[in-house]
Amino acid sequence: MKTRRIPEGFWWTLPSIVVLVALSIYPLVYAVRLAFGDLGNFTRLAGDHVFGTAALQTIAFTAVALAAEFVLGLALALLVDSLTRFRSFFRAGLLVPMLLPPVVAAVAWRLIFNPQFGVLNGTLRQIGFNTAALTWTNGQNSALLSVIIVDIWEWTPFLFLLLSAGLQAIPPEPIEAARIDGAGPWRIFRDVTLPLLKSTILLALLLRGMDLVRIFDQIFILTQGGPGTATETVSLYIYRTAFRFSNFGYAATMSFVLLAATMLFSRGLMRVMRAR
Amino acid sequence: MKAAVRYIAASAALLIALAPVYWLLTISLKREVDQFAYPPQWIGFAATLQHYRDAFGSGSFGSYFANSVILAAMSTAAALAIGVPAAYGLSRFEWARSWDLKIGDWILSTRMLPPIVTIVPLFLMLREARLLNSLIGLAIVYTGFNLPFVVWMMRGFFDEIPREIEEAAMLDGESRVGSLLRIILPLVKPGLAATAVFCLVVAWNEFLFALILTQTDSSMTLPVGIASRVTQYEIKWGAMSAAGVVAMLPVLVFASAAQKYLVRGLSLGAVKG
Amino acid sequence: MMEIDRLTKRFGSREAVSAVSLAAADGEFVVLLGPSGCGKSTLLRMIAGLENPDEGSIKLAGRDVTQVEARDRDIAMVFQSYALYPHMTIAQNIGYPLRVRKQSALEIEKEVTKVAARLGLSGLLANRPRQLSGGERQRVALARAIIRRPKAFLMDEPLSNLDARLRVEMRAELKHLQHELRTITVYVTHDQAEAMTLAHRIAVMCDGKIQQYDTPANVYHRPANTFVAQFVGSPSMNLIQKSDAILGIRPEDVELSLDEKPDWSPARIYVTEEMGNETIVILADGSSQLTARTTAGFRADFDTPVWFRFRPEKLHRFDPSSGARLAC
Repeated sequence: MKTRRIPEGFWWTLPSIVVLVALSIYPLVYAVRLAFGDLGNFTRLAGDHVFGTAALQTIAFTAVALAAEFVLGLALALLVDSLTRFRSFFRAGLLVPMLLPPVVAAVAWRLIFNPQFGVLNGTLRQIGFNTAALTWTNGQNSALLSVIIVDIWEWTPFLFLLLSAGLQAIPPEPIEAARIDGAGPWRIFRDVTLPLLKSTILLALLLRGMDLVRIFDQIFILTQGGPGTATETVSLYIYRTAFRFSNFGYAATMSFVLLAATMLFSRGLMRVMRAR
Repeated sequence: MKAAVRYIAASAALLIALAPVYWLLTISLKREVDQFAYPPQWIGFAATLQHYRDAFGSGSFGSYFANSVILAAMSTAAALAIGVPAAYGLSRFEWARSWDLKIGDWILSTRMLPPIVTIVPLFLMLREARLLNSLIGLAIVYTGFNLPFVVWMMRGFFDEIPREIEEAAMLDGESRVGSLLRIILPLVKPGLAATAVFCLVVAWNEFLFALILTQTDSSMTLPVGIASRVTQYEIKWGAMSAAGVVAMLPVLVFASAAQKYLVRGLSLGAVKG
Repeated sequence: MMEIDRLTKRFGSREAVSAVSLAAADGEFVVLLGPSGCGKSTLLRMIAGLENPDEGSIKLAGRDVTQVEARDRDIAMVFQSYALYPHMTIAQNIGYPLRVRKQSALEIEKEVTKVAARLGLSGLLANRPRQLSGGERQRVALARAIIRRPKAFLMDEPLSNLDARLRVEMRAELKHLQHELRTITVYVTHDQAEAMTLAHRIAVMCDGKIQQYDTPANVYHRPANTFVAQFVGSPSMNLIQKSDAILGIRPEDVELSLDEKPDWSPARIYVTEEMGNETIVILADGSSQLTARTTAGFRADFDTPVWFRFRPEKLHRFDPSSGARLAC
């Protein structure tokens, strides 16, 4: 007799549900109480220039890094996919930047970017460039770009991996049919490969985009948000507010705005891709 | 020939990917006078292990390393212990009105939460429970991180095993728990290993929560230890990079073992095929 | 006119296609018949331009196309899995070859409508491949192939994914279509019934080589060796090993009698299979078995004694070591 009571599988799942409620749902509720406990937080947020700057910098960072990582990742996926030998060797090597602890990657690049002693300026000087103006992470105007470069180096492999998997999943027959039908390689890419890759592209942009919006680790090590607040993204500002100024309520408010922005981003992206 | 061009391009990309890592390695092995020498020395420098001795022998990095190891092991074991039965429950049993899918999706969505949203409450919660600056506190938090992932990954692996195998076992007299332990788990060993590797790597690399929740020398993890030295004024780059090199080795070893499953883990299953 | 001269393809040390030569006249329907792994698909793919031959040449309408890219050979192909473009509508699928050739949208629509009507697809033009049945998808693949009036059609087991009844229907449709279009067709299959019904000439292949290239009638009645003899015809030809030759006799040429007859050989019934229109009888003669085909009314129990003989004019003789046909 099939009872309508709790299904047996539920008991197996219960511990996980309990843990997640304790570690995800309850903190979320707690954060809501913190944020909305003092509604003045929201009015303060509306006039907060520092937050506005951080938001703009975060958007700029996300847009540029995502675009670059996508194009490079796709190019790499197509390139490695077309190799006949040593493919797994190349793939393994290309994934290294992504596997490192982000802190280690940031340490390495901080060394590289040092304007006086770093190997980047050093090598450029060797070739003959004048590096006086290249201040990389130390310069007010170049810091954001430098941080973007590090992210591109570190996370392009992620896009590469996902898009590569997507490419492998495309069946070869429609492509052979297109060859017989008379299409050249560029045409085949545009008419057959790209459309069939659409859902993978969406997924890749979504996953990486959401991580970019909340970027923290590398910037913390590379510049700590500086010089000044030139590279302070929203996450870093929240961190500063909560743990330097101990203003937990206001930090919670900002994190909600961040959460809302993340969800808007993902929904907007899905709508755009569905329409194409 | 077009093929040669492609191999050259791929090799160039590979060089760009590996050069910074290699440079870090050289810094860790160079004497201090050589580290910032001009022109930059890529090879042919005098190597020394002094920085490794400094960091791990006399410095505190040895204990940071130990902390990271213990933390990664604990949280992975806990996540597997709780998550594998949950995945089994979702995969194997009859659920009314596709509740299993709903719960599965909910479990997955907790991964979408920006960590920054939960970090303030978790900090405050742990402070009240006096679990700040303790490995146990951080291990609990990491278990929470890894749990959705374990459930989602293992469920996928369980789904791939045909039900008939367990039905045959149960006709032979096996219990549910027994069939999970003796029949199913051996069949998903590679998947289980890959999931474990992922959890270990996530716990090992994690920075934000470790930064905020462990601030004492005795509880700090490796990434936090490295960060705390770097943000000071006088940076001992030799010891720093030695610590960095040691920090990245386990990950590279583990990840190469689990390479096949990387896509699955990162893409959360939405890539068809 | 299609001429293939000593075409060879190697994968590693294995020769998948060994110095195959073949010529097909305009309007001819040629079937490459053989078991899996015999090289027929590889041969077809070389003609298509999807694989590069290691040796040999291919000429189409007097032009050497061996080094020419697939898209410039002016041939069309129907794949076993149809290979439709999953993200395009049926109309877009059929029209794609014309779109690649930059014809105007108006012209493309005209042609697509014409071809769709011919193949009974007019109502499906706005759908996507996943919404169509197997038979419908196959017709779409055909439509896409015929729309540009190529110099040759290549078909790689196009009917094998259809259920048995649909397969027989489509066979007839294909034969009729090819007759109307009068285009050279090279068709690959492992099904000898398909080969027999469709082909003007059959090339029976085994281990990368053509065993016999001839009309269905000749392949059936005068097989060049034991391989061809056993591959064509169902149930298979009986082969009897003798000291100086291998004898072959088709089941329909084995005469049976339940009454003892002089000069006929004795045997026992092993199994009878009553098919409705005929009966297949397997005889056991000591340790060996013989398959015979007889009229529908024949009925006998297991182990019943029976007498048989071979129609002497239908006896085939093959060389015992090479398997090649011996002159009677």
